[in-house]
Formats: sequence, structure tokens, C-alpha cells
Amino acid sequence: MPDIYTPEWYEAVRDAINARVAQMSGLPDGAWNIAIDIIGDGTSPYVDEGSQRNFVARIENGHCAWYREVGDDGPGVKLDFRFTGPATVFDEIAAGQLDPIDAALRGTIKAKGDMRFLMRQAEHVQVLLSAYTDGVETLWPQGAPPYPGGSK
Amino acid sequence: MKSICDVIIIGAGHNGLTLGAYLARSGLDVVVLERRHEEGGGLCTEELTRPGFLHNVHANYHTFVDMAPPVADLEVRRNGAEYIRPEVQMASIFDDGTALTVHTDLDKTCTSMARFSEADAETFRRLHTEAHGFVDLLLGTLMYQPPMSIKELTRALAAFGVEDRTEFLSVKLRRETINEFLDQHFTHPKIKAHLAFHGAVCGYTNDVAGLAIGFPLLVGKIDNWQLCVGGSHRLAHALWRDLAHHGGTMISDAEVAHISIEDGRAVGVRLATGEEITARMAVASTVAIEQTMLDFVDAGEIPPELRTRVAEKVVHKDWSLFSVHAAMTELPEYSAAEFDPDVNRAWVINLGYASTDELDDDWRLIRKGGLPDPRPNAAVNSLYDPTDAPEGCYTGLLRQFAPFDLDDGGAGRWEGMGRWYGQRCLDAWRRFAPNLTADKFIDWAPFTPLDISRKLVNMVNGDWMMGEISLDNMLDQRPLPELGQYRTPIDRLYLAGSTQHPHGFITFGPGYNALQVIADDLDIEPWWREI
Repeated sequence: MPDIYTPEWYEAVRDAINARVAQMSGLPDGAWNIAIDIIGDGTSPYVDEGSQRNFVARIENGHCAWYREVGDDGPGVKLDFRFTGPATVFDEIAAGQLDPIDAALRGTIKAKGDMRFLMRQAEHVQVLLSAYTDGVETLWPQGAPPYPGGSK
Repeated sequence: MKSICDVIIIGAGHNGLTLGAYLARSGLDVVVLERRHEEGGGLCTEELTRPGFLHNVHANYHTFVDMAPPVADLEVRRNGAEYIRPEVQMASIFDDGTALTVHTDLDKTCTSMARFSEADAETFRRLHTEAHGFVDLLLGTLMYQPPMSIKELTRALAAFGVEDRTEFLSVKLRRETINEFLDQHFTHPKIKAHLAFHGAVCGYTNDVAGLAIGFPLLVGKIDNWQLCVGGSHRLAHALWRDLAHHGGTMISDAEVAHISIEDGRAVGVRLATGEEITARMAVASTVAIEQTMLDFVDAGEIPPELRTRVAEKVVHKDWSLFSVHAAMTELPEYSAAEFDPDVNRAWVINLGYASTDELDDDWRLIRKGGLPDPRPNAAVNSLYDPTDAPEGCYTGLLRQFAPFDLDDGGAGRWEGMGRWYGQRCLDAWRRFAPNLTADKFIDWAPFTPLDISRKLVNMVNGDWMMGEISLDNMLDQRPLPELGQYRTPIDRLYLAGSTQHPHGFITFGPGYNALQVIADDLDIEPWWREI
């Protein structure tokens, strides 16, 4: 089982996504780069308070080509979507404790990009999210959520 | 006058200026043509009564400030528009001397509502909190994108299981009225009346089927009513300034008479004076759909059935606004201040509607051409913006829901009726604020629905939304399904005004959304969409 936010975990997420979308038909053509910005909130031990960790996933024809953490020099690709939120929220999502759609509806995760596309691909988006939330058995070396005083 | 440019925009209202400024920032040579003597369209501020009293003739309430992307993208504040968000946003004052106030502070709003119904106050808190959570998402999905169809939207809401996640968003809203939404969630007639009144001032009539779908979004911005310091026209000036700063040109007193089309493509315009201006890339119109498609375009250039549909099927709002602009020496002191002192600081006030039934009765009367006993809404901008009146004086605005066509003589009957009906509106105000005796008014000026359509000719029949807001005239159905994505059957002729999704009001939406389509067609790098 991979540790959260490690290259092994990113690969496991990618594989989980691809295993699930393999069952789907009518996947969208084209490629999209999706940024995930996780903001340190003083609660999650995985992102220092006041700093942030940035990730980018590339989706090609519905499959995940890669998912990786990017450094200070930026994503290196043109982005189509960006999701930003507190680290505790993303940790809870990755642990399957918080529904990402709920988090978006509550405004705790902010989304940028063509929302129409996401709405039109709702079933596909649901599959991507489900792979992220429960597709990987994850280890939490510095402690697992829920944290005391977590997002809820 | 310039004779050639890249893009011509017809109409210098906020949508035309917004589109023009974005395109100018993109490096295009843009000319915005305005029939009137100044830019702004509905962003019109004039000294209608006496010198020094700045009256917003049309748009007064700016509720999308800091929500609409152009506000930041076009740096409207740096360009001179300054906004105030009044602490006491809104109130309803009722005949029995009670009052309800809406504040920027949610706790205060809920406290006010709880005096009528604690359960409703808690419901409102949940609704407001939820709506605030998803307002960005709704704005990004529904307002500031070319529209999806209601079918696509419904399907997505179902796929995401939204109905199971929130008690306030449901696919069935697309069939329901705001009244039905309110009846399902609230109990007290006065709270329901206030929320319905708030919808109506935004153009969402509470008895029209399907508008419940927009109601959570309205609640999400119920505390974001802002006033433009020095008058609404300052926003128009800021947008013009941005346009000019980036090389664009706005030409006033330039009435378009004709759109020139060659080989099925829009290539320029001819003005009423006979001057011609060539557009190398595109023409975008922000004026009434009838003007654009029937008056400006030769009959042979579009399919005859489309001409017929524009003439017969475009639906205009079935009520308009009658206004009284007042120059005053005193602020209103409401009797209801004994019940809730904050009413004296409220910016926008519903004077008297105490139930949705009372609103419904007036809609029915208005649709038949009848004039209601006035229950106007009152706004005194000087409460928060003292620059809009001479020292020690105040500028007041009354707005009364009213028909355009009166049952006993049509719209022409408004001639000569303004003072009479205006006096009745002032009398109605005085019932709630007894200090507003005749001597407290230095002067006042009525502005009738007929005046609206004469001053702003694209507001056909006093239609201040430039098209009805109803389920079959929203999203991609507005103004007609074949014209609902900002393109027309004529290559490079675009529709970018409030005839298009989302609708009128100072949303910036039609201009911003048309921009997305134009950018795609003209291969313009969308710098404003940078993620």
C-alpha cells in the first residue's frame, strides 16, 4: 500500500482511475490537464500551514495518462481545470471520508475551468472521483484523517 | 470618424463595453457605436430633478460585483468605479408597523426573521449557507458560460446526485414557481413575501413556472447588493475607460441603420447619417433582437421563417417599472423603526407587500393592463453615498411594478399620467414614512414605462430585462433556440446583449459569454480564461 502523496500513490490513483474507466463507454475525446492545489491549513500534517502542494493530472480520451506533484516552477502544461481547497478537505476526500461533490457544493473546494464540460461529462467525472476517494488503499504515515477539528 | 476596424459593436451598454474592452485588450481594433449621446445604456445617471441630484434613471442595483469575471478582468475599480455594499441591504415594511431587514451580517438577518418565525429563520440560514457554498459553482456553470440546455443541466444534477445532497437544489425546480419553492421551505407569509419581492426586483416573477431553478442563486447573492458611488453611470465610464485605454473607440450619437452583409458574412454597418464603417472580423449587436434581425439586416439575408419567429415569438417581460426620482431635504423616518430601527438604514425597501398572494394579485392586474394601488419599493442612495446629492439633501427612488400597455388606452395613455401616478406612489411612501410631507421634496420626476422604451429603445415595451425571464426563454432558449448561442445565421454577426443568456440586469453575462464564442470563432487566445 502506498503512502499518501508519494509517486507510488499517484501511480496507484492513476491505475485505479484507468481500471474504472475501462468499464465505461462514451468517454470524452481529447486531453485535459487538471491542477489540484492543496493549501496547508494547520490541521493536515501533510502540507505545512501557509504553504501549498500542487498536483497535476492529465486525462487523455477519458484515461489518466499521469498524475504527479509539481514544484515551484509550475505545472509545465497548459491547464484546463483547477481545484483548490484546504489540505484537510483533500485528505478526507482521499481517505473516502468526505464526498468531493459535497465539498464543491459547500464551497470548500473552488473550481475553475469550463464547468459545462464537467457537467456534460458528469458520469465520467463521478468515476474519476470515486477512484480518487476509494480506489487506493492508502497509508497515512503521519496520521490519518479525520483529524481533531477536521473539515466537518 | 473611423471607417474601418476589426470588430464593430452596436450599443455601448455594459455588455457592449464589456465585450469591446476584452477584445481591445486582446489586441483588436474595436469600435463601439452608441445611438445616444453617451455610453452606458441602462447605466444612466442624470440630474432629472435639480442640479446636483444624481438619479439612476435605470440600473440602480449592482448585485454581481465581485462575482462577475469582468469586474476583475477589466479592473473596473482601478478604472474609477467605486462600490458600497450597504450594511442593511434591504427591508420589507408592513402595514401593521412590523418590518423585516436583510443585512450583510447573516446573524442579524436571521434575528430579524426570527421575530416572525424562528423555524423560517433557521431555514433561511441553511439556505443562505448552502447557496453561498454553491454560488460560485452555479455562477461558473450557469451565468458565465454559453448556456447549456435545461435537459443537460437536469441530467448533470441527477448524475451528481445533487438532489440527495442539498434540500434546496432539485431537478423539479425547473417546473416550479418561486412561490412553490417558498411554500415548500418557509411558513410565514411576510418572510415569503420578502423573498418573493427580492426575486421580483431581480426580474424573477414569483408566479412564473420554472423560475424556482434560479432562486437559490438569487439567495446566494441576496446580501451582495451594491451601489455605484456617484451613480451607476460611473461603471459605464470605467468600462469605456478600459476600452479606450486599450485602443478601442466608443462613438456616441452614432445610430446604426443597417448591417452590411457580403456573401453571407457581416462586414460592417451603415449609420443613420449614411456613413459606412467596415469590420474586418466581426459585428456584434447588443441591442434588441427585433432591431438587429428585422431592422438592421436586409430581409433577404436571413431565412423568412426566422424573421417571422423574431417578429412573433420573442417574448418580452409582461410587466415594467414606473419610477419616481426625488430630490429631498430629509431622509425617510419610518414608523416601523419603532419595531426595527434598522429599517431607517435599509437601502432597498419593500413598502407593503405582506404576502405572495398580494404580489400575485398585482401581477394578474398588471398583465391585464391595470394599475395597482402603489406598493413601491424605495431606495435612498444618499444614505450610503452622500455624493449623489448636494450637502444636506438626499436623492430618492421609488419603483412600482406596472404595465407597459394600460388597459384603457395602451402605452400612450402613460402620457400625462406620470405626475398623477407618481403622486400616488409618494403618498404610499408617506404612509410608511410620515415625515416625508410635500415640503420635504424639492422636486420629483416620474419616469414611466413608456419613458423607458423611448429613452432606451432596445427595452421594447418597457422590457427592462430585454426578454421575459421564464423557463422557455432562458439558457439556450433565449431569445429563440436558433439564436441562443450568441451566433446568428449570418457568419460573423453575433448577439451580445441582454436579449441573450443570462438576461438583463447588470450581470455582464451576455457580453462576457458572447466573448467566449467570438474568441473561438476568431482564434483569439482567451487570456481571461487562464486557469
